[in-house]
Amino acid sequence: MVLDPKMKQAVIRRTVRKFAEDKLVPAAAEMDEKAEFPARLAEEMAALQYFGLEIPAAYAGAGLDSVSYAIVIEEISKASGAMGLCISVHNSVSAFPVYEFGKESQRQAFLIPMAKGEKIGTFCLTEPNAGSDASSIETTAVRDGDGYILNGSKIFVTNGGVSGLNLIFAITNPSEKGREYSVFVVESEREGLEKGAQEDLMGMRGNPVCPIVLNDCRVPRGNLLGDEGQGMRIALATLEGGRIGIGSQALGIAQACLEASVKYAQERYQFGKRIADFGAIQGFLADMATRIEAARLLIFRASSLRDRKMPHSRESAMAKLFASETAVDAARIGLQIHGGYGYSKAYPIERYYRDAKVCEIYEGTSEVQRIVIARSLMNK
Amino acid sequence: MNIVVCIKQVPDTPNIRIDRERMTIIRDGVESIINPLDHIALEAALDLKQKEGGKISVLTMGPSQSEEALREAIAAGADEAILLTDPGFAGADTLATSKVIASAISRMDPFPDLILCGKQTIDSDTGHVGPQLAEELNLPQVCGVTEIHVEMNALVVKQLSDGFQNTYRVSFPALLTVSQGLNVPRHIPLGDLEKAFSEGGVLRWGLKDLNLRAEEVGFSGSATTVVRLYRPPQKRKGEIVSGSSQTLAEHLIGKLVSLSILDEDEAE
Repeated sequence: MVLDPKMKQAVIRRTVRKFAEDKLVPAAAEMDEKAEFPARLAEEMAALQYFGLEIPAAYAGAGLDSVSYAIVIEEISKASGAMGLCISVHNSVSAFPVYEFGKESQRQAFLIPMAKGEKIGTFCLTEPNAGSDASSIETTAVRDGDGYILNGSKIFVTNGGVSGLNLIFAITNPSEKGREYSVFVVESEREGLEKGAQEDLMGMRGNPVCPIVLNDCRVPRGNLLGDEGQGMRIALATLEGGRIGIGSQALGIAQACLEASVKYAQERYQFGKRIADFGAIQGFLADMATRIEAARLLIFRASSLRDRKMPHSRESAMAKLFASETAVDAARIGLQIHGGYGYSKAYPIERYYRDAKVCEIYEGTSEVQRIVIARSLMNK
Repeated sequence: MNIVVCIKQVPDTPNIRIDRERMTIIRDGVESIINPLDHIALEAALDLKQKEGGKISVLTMGPSQSEEALREAIAAGADEAILLTDPGFAGADTLATSKVIASAISRMDPFPDLILCGKQTIDSDTGHVGPQLAEELNLPQVCGVTEIHVEMNALVVKQLSDGFQNTYRVSFPALLTVSQGLNVPRHIPLGDLEKAFSEGGVLRWGLKDLNLRAEEVGFSGSATTVVRLYRPPQKRKGEIVSGSSQTLAEHLIGKLVSLSILDEDEAE
């Protein structure tokens, strides 16, 4: 169990923080305001291997361990939630399953360009009628000679607007008893794949979230990830790591809220003294900091289990649940500390407030995380 | 061109605490970084290597944990790292430190063409080690350089002093200490960090390896001792202005214009 980050992880945190402070902090407000993904910055990040965090060097990745991965996501998200989201989703639920379940030829064809950041990845499970109940997806993949024909609609696709490769979950066996899903890697330029307009979201606005529609989209058999019918297994294995990513993202936003609040509380004078000198404000800050530290330890716990290839489904659910609720709470209290100024766009806390909320929703709502945790308690 | 870059691991400044009994900076449990000017020296070395080829060795004297700084330098592109570490080195002043580093550099075969140091460190700020090292090694030195070029087997360097810019031509081998503004250190790819921390590559040299006697180094080899270490009281020359918001704003804008922070058009 890693409680104190090792030498390497301390340097990784510092390196990422320096990059984030130099490049992302100055860009974050504009990304949010214009709802624009900074392609140039993403290229710079690609050159520094942010798109292949846990992918081994043999496939052009950085080869980081999971604890380091969590630290990277935290630091990026602290500067920009939207960029943290891009990196987290690309790495943990798009590149990772291609690495884990892909055949060698697929790793060569798909994974290497993903790790290099030449192709940004998506994870397309959610549909208009299938959110928390992922098993009710309606997208189909029907065999056609040596390939499949895909039809259906995917919504709220993170990174959708800039993606090069998309992991599409589709039904390959529709029979009531033997209902089975499979995952396909579908190139964005493939005929029959269409991207809709960017969603007008409350937060994470710098991420080009959009719908993806498949209309008689034909893919060769070589684009089937893993085996036919493996879709549910891939989804579950992928989301275990995904939750660490989202947890780390929430943690980064929470940390940003804390740092902004500590700074503001020492600058703002009321009744002739700094508001930081009032007990009520100190209580707010102390509680925020304590919960954030607890969230960080839960994330380190889950990711160090992952590093040792031990089961971590419950631990990653706990980390994601606690960190995302901590972020929402830290944003709410942080905004309260900022008072009226916090409600204006002059300070970043209102962006953190909007960005934090979705962490309780995507990649498994807090309610779904509680189901995962509760089931793990009762199945013993 | 073979270059040695001398670096020091220093506490990240906002966190500095002082041990009042031992008159030293408390380093335990404090996050440490590569001294920012040493980072600039390393970047200059990487830049020269790109143009001229050769090898970069980074060198530091310090406790075991200084290995972190050396590995970070390897990730940034250094070829070799040497940690000068020995219980006998503890308590060294800048003279004793220079002696150990000089002895290590003399051992290098071939002797380096160029030695680069930061002009000073953010923790002790003396700026002694670079010049003392050059004296120990009997090398030409230029301190606080802001530009480095290689021209016809010599270095042409620029230095700012007393508001004048000096240009020097320096023969090899030489020692330079570098100033802020020479370059902006690059961001390190994450995979290079991973590799630098998972592979070997840090040499450790102690008292015996360097053929030094215990009385020449550390506390006993030091020519100076710190008699008192304290935070000087801050003297703020404040000016208290009173009046309506309108008057205060006008006064403030006037000040900013007079200091050339705002120009008159902006002030309007």
